Amino acid sequence: MSTIGTGYDLSASQFSPDGRVFQIDYASKAVEKSGTVIGIRGMNCVVLAVEKIITDQLYEPDAASRIFTIEQNIGMAIAGLMADGNYIADIARQEAANFRGQFQRTIPLKNLCDRVSAYIHAYTLYSAVRPFGLSVIFASWSETEGPQLYKIEPSGTSFGYYACASGKAKQQAKTEMEKFKFADMTTDELVRSGGKIIYQVHDELKDKDFRYEMGIVGKETNGIHLINPESWTQLAVEAGEAAKNADDSENEI
Amino acid sequence: MFRNQYDSDVTVWSPQGRLHQVEYAMAAVKLGTATVGLKNRDYAVLVALCKPASELSASQRKIIPIDDHLGISIAGITADARVLSKYLRSECLSYKHSYGSTYPVSRLITNLGNKMQTTTQRYDRRPYGVGLLIAGYDEKGPHIYKVEPSANFFNCKAMTIGSRSQSARTYLERHLSTFNASSKDDIICHGIHAIRSSLPNDELVSKDDGGSQLNITVAIVGKDQPFKILSDEENLHYLEMAKKRGGSIIVSKDDDDDDKPSPGDSEEPAPSTARDPQVAVATMENP
Amino acid sequence: MMNNSFAQPMWQNGPAPGQFYNFIGGGYNNGAPAQLPRELTTCGPYGTKHSTAAITTGSSVLGIKFDGGVLVAADTLVSYGSLARYQNIDRVFKINDKILIGGSGDFADIQSIMRNIEQKMIEDQCCNDGVVMKPKAMATWMTRVLYNRRSRMNPLYIDVVVGGIDEGGAPYLGSVDLRGRAYDDYVVATGFARHLALPLVRERKPKDRDFTFEEATNLIREAMKVLYYRDTRSMPRYTVGICTAANCSIKGPFKVEENWTFAETVKGY
Repeated sequence: MSTIGTGYDLSASQFSPDGRVFQIDYASKAVEKSGTVIGIRGMNCVVLAVEKIITDQLYEPDAASRIFTIEQNIGMAIAGLMADGNYIADIARQEAANFRGQFQRTIPLKNLCDRVSAYIHAYTLYSAVRPFGLSVIFASWSETEGPQLYKIEPSGTSFGYYACASGKAKQQAKTEMEKFKFADMTTDELVRSGGKIIYQVHDELKDKDFRYEMGIVGKETNGIHLINPESWTQLAVEAGEAAKNADDSENEI
Repeated sequence: MFRNQYDSDVTVWSPQGRLHQVEYAMAAVKLGTATVGLKNRDYAVLVALCKPASELSASQRKIIPIDDHLGISIAGITADARVLSKYLRSECLSYKHSYGSTYPVSRLITNLGNKMQTTTQRYDRRPYGVGLLIAGYDEKGPHIYKVEPSANFFNCKAMTIGSRSQSARTYLERHLSTFNASSKDDIICHGIHAIRSSLPNDELVSKDDGGSQLNITVAIVGKDQPFKILSDEENLHYLEMAKKRGGSIIVSKDDDDDDKPSPGDSEEPAPSTARDPQVAVATMENP
Repeated sequence: MMNNSFAQPMWQNGPAPGQFYNFIGGGYNNGAPAQLPRELTTCGPYGTKHSTAAITTGSSVLGIKFDGGVLVAADTLVSYGSLARYQNIDRVFKINDKILIGGSGDFADIQSIMRNIEQKMIEDQCCNDGVVMKPKAMATWMTRVLYNRRSRMNPLYIDVVVGGIDEGGAPYLGSVDLRGRAYDDYVVATGFARHLALPLVRERKPKDRDFTFEEATNLIREAMKVLYYRDTRSMPRYTVGICTAANCSIKGPFKVEENWTFAETVKGY
């Protein structure tokens, strides 16, 4: 990025001569520093999984949780600035409430994603504000729509996914994810592979401890988004530990 | 001197994905005197060190009561803290008016965080230059929360912020496992011990020898205990108790800290490094 | 929660940050101060006419507290004037695991406030902190809303019974009406039940203890029968909400055991 320091990268409302808005790129850098987060879509279920790096042993285990419930059947996971994430969670809840107020039904995930990405995009247009340092993953399940998964980038662009990742080990996670065929997976299988991926991409040398956090919504949760449900979390953590140990022993040979 | 061109506004991301203005605001917390928060099963306690600005003045208030179930302790710009405490008070009051019950602490803090977040994203604002420790009690029990100028907030087992808080942190970390089961008296004494360890050694000795008490404020909230700042008599009582219980432990521990300051924690950064404090907002690494 | 009022307009005549997007019916009015909903504003220069009566109505609701919980009962009729228009409508609502609400009065207003409450419950779930609203808080909130509306001369024409399990596991039972009058007691009732069922229940109240569950259910059965016989806007079909510390659910519909053989003996009309 030779353009750094030439003065074209100081405002979100300014293009560089080669057509980039550097402030958005820089905001994405904040996302890349965050612990890994993934979303995977199975047959009847969607799982969000987060590698929450424990930065301080004085915190309670639930401090700085990066998975949120937006509506009864909509979960959200973030990578990036915690404060921005909390704020966007609030915005997303308002949008969901607004939709419910008008139509008396749960907002379809596509609509919610459109609205929130429009909001995030608006912050990339003005010099008076900065773009959100945030990548957002939305997950939902409903009887009519089935499992749904969307991701929004700091630029405000959003796509639907079968599986997606953000944060530190985004690339690794993508590589891992390509080995699976999530679309045919049952809930338990999906939960286990979520655990495996996060444990495998966690970098033990660079980051100390981490806490595995997950959100799950699907047929078996009765269409309710649950955060860290005990039995499923245990399932994922066990699968993750096992996968990590298998990796380690392989390396020793 | 190299001038960082990305640190003038809160709306500017640095090429590394950092917000320097927010990080500088985080540094303001370290200019305030230390404060400690900790909790056991039924009570949350705040202990703050109050240093008068001059011989002729009284010290700033470090602990601000918000509601019967909640109070805050501050480190940083006191005026900013008053803005935030006004907000907290009116929120608690309007919640009480609407529902006749106390505001769940976690929800109040989430809303406070969202209010503070807007100041980290707008050209016409600056982040609040104050860190808060919040002690609250609701139907889920006692809570200690830390709120930072970056608008991050954390649910804590125990926490300390402010200048020289590293030594207090060491104390808290060392005794963390005992807090939950300890009594109300114990937890207050632990708080006092922790805050004392953040005093420079010479000051500690002179205070102890002179017979005058430390300038501390203690507040407690918990089960059947509305938020209360302890009176001078109670303060003295607990100071005496703390001294009796663990004077020896404290002194030896202080020596520890002075002898080998751990390399990672550059508390009170020198002016040269102050322009670039290692406060990674995005990843929330340890300051 | 959910407070986006912090984002103030940035400059005159320009869009406020984050409010650049605009949805049909979204109510985002580019930076202008938020408008109160029309029903909350004061009257215009030529005056405003508000509704002065309930249109589609539910009749009585009866709530009884017993040792360990509350019962809330209401028949399933919603009338349009004197027409028995909708005959299979539940008027007792389960709000969450701790709260039951029985609604009488204008049924559209009941539905409207229920939508508000539903949104509140979703917000509780979103917080994911295990804190749920308690009946006392709900009754307080209802009182504030209803009193506020009546003070603007635009009341919600409803009369509600709020019951459930409060903080600490004690049963709570209260009532709020369209003027924001509120009270709580071991038995509360709205509509005709206030005249017919209250004395019935009070008569049976043992001085030294609460009702048992059995006594309470028997009283409900009897009171609903009396109400059916005497109240023209009622039906022999009712649902009962039961809320205890362990369980909160709506049971029924139950039939009133009616017996009209005495009708032959009624003379002189």
